[in-house]
Amino acid sequence: MIKTYIQLAGLFSALSLSAFGGGKVVLPSMHQAAVGEYSWMTDQQFVDLFSISMAAPGPSMMVVSLVGLKACLSYGFWFAILGALIATVAMFLPSSLLVFIAGKWWDSWKESPWRHSVQQAIMPISTGLILAATWIIAKNSIHSIPTGIMAVVALALMLFTKINPVLMMGVAGAISWFFLR
Amino acid sequence: MGNLEAPKPNWQTTAAQPPTLWELAGLFAFIGITSFGGGLTAYIRRLVVTQKRWLTDEEFLPGLGLVQLLPGANVVGISVYIGNHLRGPIGAIIAVTSIITPPFILVLVLGFLYFHAGTTTDTKALLAGVTAAACGLMASMVFEAGQKAITGIFDIFLILLTFALVRVAHLHVPYVIMIVAPLAIWWHRPRPEKQSIAKDSKGV
Repeated sequence: MIKTYIQLAGLFSALSLSAFGGGKVVLPSMHQAAVGEYSWMTDQQFVDLFSISMAAPGPSMMVVSLVGLKACLSYGFWFAILGALIATVAMFLPSSLLVFIAGKWWDSWKESPWRHSVQQAIMPISTGLILAATWIIAKNSIHSIPTGIMAVVALALMLFTKINPVLMMGVAGAISWFFLR
Repeated sequence: MGNLEAPKPNWQTTAAQPPTLWELAGLFAFIGITSFGGGLTAYIRRLVVTQKRWLTDEEFLPGLGLVQLLPGANVVGISVYIGNHLRGPIGAIIAVTSIITPPFILVLVLGFLYFHAGTTTDTKALLAGVTAAACGLMASMVFEAGQKAITGIFDIFLILLTFALVRVAHLHVPYVIMIVAPLAIWWHRPRPEKQSIAKDSKGV
């Protein structure tokens, strides 16, 4: 049990400091660790938990809390909550400290020409990582023609309208419950 | 604890009156439960800069620039920055805790429901729609990120290289970054004569 907590803390603090371009870029690693290396959950559970966290309010990386919860679920209720807490703190504390510390030097650094270089360099990397994350989600969410159509419609709605993504996910859930149950 | 004294202003703020820690906690908790999906930093800017006038754009935007450059969820980073800017380290802690705690509790409730209600045909059908929509949402983020990232053919190569290292070589993200970042930074290094490599400096 202690081992699981240490694994959670180690995994998420490492991912916290590598999430260049936002939390989503570390999703592939989170998946690989949670489903593969540590076998905390199945592929389907991971994608379900990710979708639940996206459909709920708050920073999108709350899936971290759910991974912590599931990793420790078999130890009992309070241990699962502790697991969620450890995972969440490990994900958000190191990067927050970094903002706090780097902020002190920011004024002297923000005019540097390298700032633009780093900014421009981060973007293709985070695009590639989000693409990899989308791949994982797609593999476990598009099971059939109806779910495929829903994903494509959702993509089109996100690209071409200003629809609220949570509303969209809610409606998609309702439609799918009505027709696929 | 309602009237914690305003801190000694060794961090500058042009706001006439810095918010109390309670006000700070209240607003960030509100942001935490009312924010959905992408575009969160724009939402925070509207509340903190436009509505509450706690910060000016001249204070907010450099913070956003810093946060986008550093690792971590942008929303969390900007909360640290704003909290620290307004009320020092305590403000940073209050802002982050307030923005995360309500969604944390909510998501745990949903998590327990998921694992206890389990896999009935109803929840399966419901989740099939939600995950499909989440997939579309993620795909839209690839397009948005790609639009900003691609300034030339080499950026496409960097995207595909990153993707391959994760999906084919199964490397973990920190290692992928250690491999690709030096290459990407080298390619985008400051160049005095951008015209000489015109095709890649367009729009930069």
